[in-house]
Amino acid sequence: MYVEIGEGVLNLFKTGKLIIVFFILFFGFNISLFAETSSELNVQKNLSAKEVVLTFQNELLDIMKQGKKLGFKGRYEKFEPAIVKSHDLEKVARIVVGKEWKGFSEEQKQKLTEVFSRLSIASYAHNFKEFSGESFEFLSEDKTARGGFIIYTVFILPDDKDVKFDYMLKKKSDNWMIINVIAAGVSDLALKRSEYTSILKREGFEALIAKITEKIDNYTNQ
Amino acid sequence: MLSLLFKKDRSKLFFVSVFLILFFLSGCASHHSIDSEPSVVEVNEQEIDPFEGVNRKVYSFNKVVDEYVAKPISDAYIWVTPKIVQTGVSNFFNNLSDINVFLNDFMQGKLRQGGLDTGRFLVNSTLGLGGLFDVATGFGLQQNEEDFAQTLAVWGVPQGPYLMIPVLGPMTSRGIPGAVFDAAANPTSYIGFGVPLQFLQMLQVINARANAEGDLKFINEAALDPYIFTREAFLQYRKNLIADGELSGNEDDFFDLEDDFYEEDQNESINLDIDNKPVVSKEVKVNSAPTLPVISPQVEEVDIDEQIRQVRLRLKLRSTRVENTVFE
Repeated sequence: MYVEIGEGVLNLFKTGKLIIVFFILFFGFNISLFAETSSELNVQKNLSAKEVVLTFQNELLDIMKQGKKLGFKGRYEKFEPAIVKSHDLEKVARIVVGKEWKGFSEEQKQKLTEVFSRLSIASYAHNFKEFSGESFEFLSEDKTARGGFIIYTVFILPDDKDVKFDYMLKKKSDNWMIINVIAAGVSDLALKRSEYTSILKREGFEALIAKITEKIDNYTNQ
Repeated sequence: MLSLLFKKDRSKLFFVSVFLILFFLSGCASHHSIDSEPSVVEVNEQEIDPFEGVNRKVYSFNKVVDEYVAKPISDAYIWVTPKIVQTGVSNFFNNLSDINVFLNDFMQGKLRQGGLDTGRFLVNSTLGLGGLFDVATGFGLQQNEEDFAQTLAVWGVPQGPYLMIPVLGPMTSRGIPGAVFDAAANPTSYIGFGVPLQFLQMLQVINARANAEGDLKFINEAALDPYIFTREAFLQYRKNLIADGELSGNEDDFFDLEDDFYEEDQNESINLDIDNKPVVSKEVKVNSAPTLPVISPQVEEVDIDEQIRQVRLRLKLRSTRVENTVFE
């Protein structure tokens, strides 16, 4: 009777809504095959790390505000450029598969990057459907030991507890790019990395691609 | 929320003890099954989740039980009960758990937060009509999450292995005494508040499951490997609670460093210096650590995995120091 599966999950968050919002947020960024081409066009020159984060957050809120009108496809199309220009997707792709990356063929690297990219954008488009008064507030920033930046912000929910959002950025060429989002202390990069490396180890490359593709289909068809 | 579930029914401790026996028996066997030299990630995983084989089986079991028992009941509850009643029920149980929150505040030496959380409990118990309304949040007194497992961490008790407990879900071995204390500190273990005790406890479980509906749906949608997803999110979230949100950045610098090793066309020297600046948020002061091993700069002559392992060790050492600093 007292059955509880995701009991740990229960533990994780106080209310469903809050959790959904933040889990999704940090789940959303990823790799894009389109990074090469579109980043050429869209790269945000000379923005500070803080500006990159604030710009992305504003774009996110804007898409949420038009969310219902846009529909899934419309949101996907708006999220794609916003994510690609502000995130170092290729680097994230390498990191989440860890040392396995070395062993991939060129074709596999490309395939992985492509499906990751679509999954990330699709998960944003699926999860940020509408707006109900959410906002972000900048708290502080800090340099890391290896020359990165951490931007501390808080996501303010009208009917719920605030959620801390920390963004980790590294410089790519001359531009600051997001490589991780830590929401309420949960690191997207670490979480994904554990999942992906585990699947690669247990089931192999094709299984990983199949799982990602299945997720994209679920988001698209819901 | 986890503690909520534990608080209501001591019979669950039975499951805990059964599981303990189970995993000790089976755990030893699984330990020797890996022949090849483990990678960095594997080493880390084996330390954290040495009983993954058993844990995964329990996780699958829990999933089935949830699907066929807990979820249908919870769905019915959500469907039948008006939203305002659901909120009232949630508030009521949250308010009772606030007793445990301020007790643990004080045990961790957080006197100011303890005072505020006590105030929160008093306000909600009176103005909030026995906790049915959360008026304190409106006054700026948001609920804090404290429990005895966190207090044990602050006192220096190690985390111990990650465990998936039948029916109850994820926990670390440190969470077991934590859960016992939390249960003892919650009135719903003893008092029915005008209704039969068993009814109240059951309502508490259903309420907890109903509140988690959104999270579980999200995990179901997003996770490629729900077992790993749950484990990582749980462990990271707990770690963050213990540190009161003051830890950040170490792991990212490690990932970044590792990526430099694996990145193609990367033949230049790699910056291994992780100690020239604290990697944590401003509020936390890191002790300088002159005694840490220095990593050889001759990258090509040393095994990359060994280098990464060393850096990871150093990050881990420092992270431990940070935790200690936070709690002093």
